[in-house]
Amino acid sequence: MISYRWRIRLWGMAFVAPTIAYFLVFKYGPMLWAMGLSFTSYDMMKPPRWVGLENYASIVRDPIFRAALLNTLVYIAGSTVFITLMALGLALAINTRGRGRRVCMSGMFLTNIMPILAVCLVWRFLFHPHGLVNQLLRPLGFGRIDWLTDSTLAMPAIILVTVWRFAPYFMVVFLAGLLAIPPEYYEAAEIDGADVLRRFRHLTLPLLMPVTFFVVVVAALLSARIFLMPYIITGGGPGNATRVLSMLIYETGFSYMKMGRAAAISVVLFAIVMVLTVVQMKLFTRGEEDYA
Amino acid sequence: MKHASNGRAVTRRQAIKRMSALGAGAAAVTAGGPRAFAQPKAPITLSFWTFDNPQQRPWIHKRVNQYMEKNPNVKVDFQWFTFADLGKKVSVGYATGTAPDGFVTGDWLMPTWLARNLIAPLDVKLLGYSSLDAFRKDHADAFVAGAMKDGQAYGYPLWFYGFCNYLNTKQFKEVGLDPVKDQPKTWTELGEVAKRLTIKQGNKFTRQGFKFAMHAAQWTMIQFNPIVSQVGGQWFDASGRCTINNEAGVKAMTIRASLARQYGAEDPADSIATFPLPQMDWLKERCAMFSCHPIPPAAIKSQNPVMESEGYFLPVQMAGVTPDKRYTTCYGFNLVVNARVPKAKQEALHDMYRFVMSDLVDCWEATAPFTLARKSGWTDDPRVKSFPHVQEIIKAKDNGVFFPRTPIWAELADAMHRAVQKVMLNNADIKTALDEAAAEVDRATAEFKKS
Repeated sequence: MISYRWRIRLWGMAFVAPTIAYFLVFKYGPMLWAMGLSFTSYDMMKPPRWVGLENYASIVRDPIFRAALLNTLVYIAGSTVFITLMALGLALAINTRGRGRRVCMSGMFLTNIMPILAVCLVWRFLFHPHGLVNQLLRPLGFGRIDWLTDSTLAMPAIILVTVWRFAPYFMVVFLAGLLAIPPEYYEAAEIDGADVLRRFRHLTLPLLMPVTFFVVVVAALLSARIFLMPYIITGGGPGNATRVLSMLIYETGFSYMKMGRAAAISVVLFAIVMVLTVVQMKLFTRGEEDYA
Repeated sequence: MKHASNGRAVTRRQAIKRMSALGAGAAAVTAGGPRAFAQPKAPITLSFWTFDNPQQRPWIHKRVNQYMEKNPNVKVDFQWFTFADLGKKVSVGYATGTAPDGFVTGDWLMPTWLARNLIAPLDVKLLGYSSLDAFRKDHADAFVAGAMKDGQAYGYPLWFYGFCNYLNTKQFKEVGLDPVKDQPKTWTELGEVAKRLTIKQGNKFTRQGFKFAMHAAQWTMIQFNPIVSQVGGQWFDASGRCTINNEAGVKAMTIRASLARQYGAEDPADSIATFPLPQMDWLKERCAMFSCHPIPPAAIKSQNPVMESEGYFLPVQMAGVTPDKRYTTCYGFNLVVNARVPKAKQEALHDMYRFVMSDLVDCWEATAPFTLARKSGWTDDPRVKSFPHVQEIIKAKDNGVFFPRTPIWAELADAMHRAVQKVMLNNADIKTALDEAAAEVDRATAEFKKS
């Protein structure tokens, strides 16, 4: 005879079983499979052959992998910082009592719902040597800027497009955080003589810390997996200037048919994302404790 | 036995005589008429994949449908993908057990399939040839070299074409050049002519004299490959080591870069070309010359109806260092059979391929000016001969040098694309860029050999 307590447990398990099965089959299963594949030589035509750590050793020796790794880290850092700052700035600007703020918010959010392919193609034309961006900069004294074909400018250009696309999305998140701060706090600070900057530094920022943590983590994860923007806008070039790890995984797996090696690069990318997340969690948890 | 029709009685003897006569007549018609294609006894379903193209894909589709009409027992699941995606789709198909029974492949990918035993040798007798030698003699040498391995044929060719230098004759005349007499035959001439055709306003090119494609690795290879050959270079030495960074390779890249660096006749960063339309700059008259595969009149019309209607374009042979060297790159597409499908399907595919390619003039009419690898059955037809500039287009095919044959084709093309980008866009040192490319290719070769 099953006790009442166990029956409750079994019912609970029965309810969560489909979800667990889904994650096992479609999430963790493929992840484990990819990890296993990273220790094999597999060209998709013949069965995988065990090669131990050879894939990892070969990617470490590969200058293209090293360039892509560096690009990925630069891209994650650049995108995350600028997305966060821009989103916060936009949210603060919108969070006023100014007229037309709802229209502004909707307008800005449009960047996020446009199809990514269209976004990339439009920006390719905007960044053309004789495109709109350069034409707008010309009156300011700038000459021709080869945004997408100069290896020093191509990555900043991709980061700019990323910020343009995703900052409005995170602006909404920040805005929700700002609206959740009780207005009494600001009234009290005002009575105590705190000016705008001090109110922002000592009230808004600390109280937005959980939201900021969320934005930073999600923006970093989003950036780590970026693929279509560099793939469509620059194709990873010029040279290797904008080749990121996700692009390298795709090329290695599906163009060069080296699935084992592609899986090894995926594992490295996974490790980077995990490390970033853990570090951010530690930093922000400490920050929250400081403010508590 | 009596029949009541027409009110006339027919005796049994008369009926047998008439039936015999009908049978003999039918046999005679079959023997003397077009070949009857094999009819599989049991119903069979074939999966077949090809690439998309406004002319070529509809024509194959039409022929496959005609084949199904003639062979009711055969059902063909006809699928097509973008040009760039087809190879990847087939690879994934092999990995997941969903590869098609037969497919069209770019012949630069033949070493990839052959190195892994993924495509089946063809029975040339089922394709209508008396022997392998007869098959070999009936096709362009460059095609044969790519489609055969260890004395067996693995590809049955569709189109096979070379690249011409397409001139905008109106722009030639504008600067006082005669497109026929002044067409550039060497790279130096090409540089000088391109310089004359170039129009600049400050640092902006209103018109580029000549344009090298910069948008895709495949096109980098197409346009760089003949220059390497012309200066006596080779992609690999006998041991398989990449030799593109040797003296000849540096010379080839110097020629490649000279249009921008020496003659100031092109802006490598300024292009509106995309993968399906690499000739876009030329079609929009943003550049005066462009090296391209045969361009169908419909493609010109769709982008520049005036150019098409007034006909101010002329395909000529690409520039070569000396006239005796090969001029241009040529490549083609093969019909191949998946080695993993049962014998019955392989035989049915042979029969379908033979039918598809049994009317080459129909193929030409539907897909002109894409030339064919087969020597017989189309070039003498008046409908082919009357096509504008057809002799130049055929000559380009015959004078073409083939892509390097290597199972690491994709790695080679990407490495060279990066090298060209570094040299052309970032002014990198040519030797250093080629050293890096050669090292990348050698690493890929070593890994392939190890695997």
